[in-house]
Amino acid sequence: MAGALAGLKVVEIGELVSAPYTAKLMADLGAEVIKIERPAIGDIARRRGPFPGGRPDPERSGLFLYLNANKYGVTVDLAQAEGFELLEQLIARADVLIHNLWPPDMDRIGLSFDRLAQRNPRLVMTSITPFGLGGSHRDWRAEELTIWSSGGVCVLNGAGPNHPELPPLKTSGHPAGFQAGAHAAAATMGAVLARVRGGVGQHVDVSAQETLVSQNEMVFEYWPYMGVIANRLGRKPLQPLEAMECRDGWIFICCVEEHQWRSFVALMGNPDWANEEIFSDRLKRGENWEALEIFLREWVGQQTVLDLYRKAQERRVPFAPVSTMGDLLNSEHLKARGFFVEIEHPAAGRLTYPGAPIKYGAAPWQIRMPAPLLGQHNLDIFSGRLGLSRGRIDQLRSKGVI
Amino acid sequence: MAGGPLSGIRIADFTWVWAGPYCTLQLAHMGADVIRIETATRPCVTRMLPPWPGGKPAGLDSSGYYNQYNQGKRSLALNFSQPGALEVARALIAKSDVVTNNFAHGVMDRLGLGYEELRKIKSDIIMISLSGYGDTGPYRDYVAYGPAQVPLCGLSSLTGYIGGPPMHAGYSYADPNAGVHGAFAVLAALYHRELTGEGQYMDMSQWECAMAVLPEGIMEYTMNGTEPQRIGNRDPWMAPHGIFRCKDRAEKVLGFTIDQFVAVAVSDDAAWQRMAAAIGRPELAHDPKFAALAARKSNEDELESIIESWSIGQNAPQAAGILQNAGVAAFVVADNKYLSEEDQHLKDRGYFVNLPHPVVGTRQHCGIPWKMSATPIAVRSAAPTLGQHTHEILSQVLGLPEAEIARLRESGALE
Repeated sequence: MAGALAGLKVVEIGELVSAPYTAKLMADLGAEVIKIERPAIGDIARRRGPFPGGRPDPERSGLFLYLNANKYGVTVDLAQAEGFELLEQLIARADVLIHNLWPPDMDRIGLSFDRLAQRNPRLVMTSITPFGLGGSHRDWRAEELTIWSSGGVCVLNGAGPNHPELPPLKTSGHPAGFQAGAHAAAATMGAVLARVRGGVGQHVDVSAQETLVSQNEMVFEYWPYMGVIANRLGRKPLQPLEAMECRDGWIFICCVEEHQWRSFVALMGNPDWANEEIFSDRLKRGENWEALEIFLREWVGQQTVLDLYRKAQERRVPFAPVSTMGDLLNSEHLKARGFFVEIEHPAAGRLTYPGAPIKYGAAPWQIRMPAPLLGQHNLDIFSGRLGLSRGRIDQLRSKGVI
Repeated sequence: MAGGPLSGIRIADFTWVWAGPYCTLQLAHMGADVIRIETATRPCVTRMLPPWPGGKPAGLDSSGYYNQYNQGKRSLALNFSQPGALEVARALIAKSDVVTNNFAHGVMDRLGLGYEELRKIKSDIIMISLSGYGDTGPYRDYVAYGPAQVPLCGLSSLTGYIGGPPMHAGYSYADPNAGVHGAFAVLAALYHRELTGEGQYMDMSQWECAMAVLPEGIMEYTMNGTEPQRIGNRDPWMAPHGIFRCKDRAEKVLGFTIDQFVAVAVSDDAAWQRMAAAIGRPELAHDPKFAALAARKSNEDELESIIESWSIGQNAPQAAGILQNAGVAAFVVADNKYLSEEDQHLKDRGYFVNLPHPVVGTRQHCGIPWKMSATPIAVRSAAPTLGQHTHEILSQVLGLPEAEIARLRESGALE
């Protein structure tokens, strides 16, 4: 069976996470993705880890290998006129361009929708930028941490009201990059669908900041509805909703509904303290959390994670382990569902990767090939797809265009 | 295409809480007719959660949480314990392209609305389930709550202050992550149907979907067999890289002092030279303790205290502006008031939405985080009140005569 996007032709000019993730979501469903990297340097993700043995190697970055499987890789210097001409030739035969060039870099190389649409009026072009293609922050510099901080979500995380001296805490990894990339994938597919349903090509302008502001849970609305600023120092109104340490790891204690709390109390053997008036409903447990926490930490500290997880879930109480990476790789549930996949790569060898975010009934998610080596498919694409002669390719190579 | 890129696509939306409504919100943004099937006997959880105008709930239509994630949708209120309600739902599905839900595994089957049933109603139907654990596997019946998904997926064990315990993300990150991936999956399936005529069923485990955006930690383990250390706000490839305290907000809010911070990420030595000059310490640019990344990493505690001794005297927006003017990546650690009132850029982009709502009046809501040049998109209406569109859907979408609608209302099938 072919994937849902088989036959769709995508060109990616992507660095690090956001645009590469958008194109990965499409590549994993069968789209043909040609990824353009800078000659000699390549995608910056090649220089970010994790690396085997902690030794940086541009062909063995776990982040790069994950984000770029299923893609063809070519190198083009878009700042040279002949390089831009190659891009235009690729665009002429493509359906979609995904990029996350910083707007001043777009200006510098002359990348714009109007220019590319002259070569291909049916093109869907998606620009993923930190703050969007208009407005006073258009040309502001940004990195993962500052985009995450601009989105109103970073301010929510931290040690809580008992440790106001500790700053807001970044969530691990590249959540801003991934959220921008996933939203861009939805927006891009909306444009692609409009086109096959009789529409035209168009330009999609995604602001990474706005994708985060859009997922502020109920928190943003506290200002327009109640004039309340929400940040890491707020008390949780309901308890218990906390990670606690067991004998062999951490578990997340989670009782939202009263029946869940009653079941948890029964699981603990109905201790006397649980009958105290100050713990009698979820709001009181929130108000009196400092007292409750002492009892719970003592009891939870004597348990083991998987045993308490199973016993709680048997009673429909939604506890969850604070999974380590090892827990995830060894999970019987994830194994039974076949979540993780193995990919053989010429430089990095055979490794286990996260797999499909969604299982498709009729048009499967599939790994067809590993991430490209830098410039691996130059010949295949420039000769095989664009019809350039060997001599021309050698000439472009000697000029540093590819 | 005046109605947006998904104009003419109808979604029978059985989702609730956050992940599912976040999925269908993206589809509503692009012009799909999203009809939420709701019930007053078990209302959407977010209808009963804060914030509320004035801090107090006024019925089931006053929650800012619900009103944010259901903009541009319609609401059909059915009571499934009454005869006739299931038939209305089935008639709606027959006129829909997509059916969405985020119930636990098995709930749609028990309602009589499992995928095999739906195919009999409409042969090319597209259905997606966004459940916590997925449809298969030994834990498929486990109960999943938003706050517990963050630790379950591995994000908590990766996140924390140096030397400290595992921490949270501060919000139920796995929910919108699942929602936006679900929207992409629905659109990919619609594309597939457009080309092949074939519908399909899609099974999402929110747990797995969250791991798909955590490759750094997972591949550290699969490459090296080691669990990543928690490194606070630092980064192995950049320094300084952190969140630095600035002056508190000048005004207290509801009696509370509000602290403020600036986030700074210095990506290379040249950026560090610019930053040193911008904070009035140009001599540090070429100081052997700080000139190169490796040296800055070795002396990071001292580096951070130097920066904080500068930032503590600045207002956060001012600090971010000074650094940006010097060509250094920096931003206020934005809170809701900053975004709502003080981020002029978001206003200039026209990001926010202010539409009238019959119960809460006109309130500022978050809008669509992207723009489209040829099929313009806009939030078309405020979130629906419970059952606001029941009559118009039965009459205009299903074509039921008034007498039949009245009969259903009398029987209690309509709320």
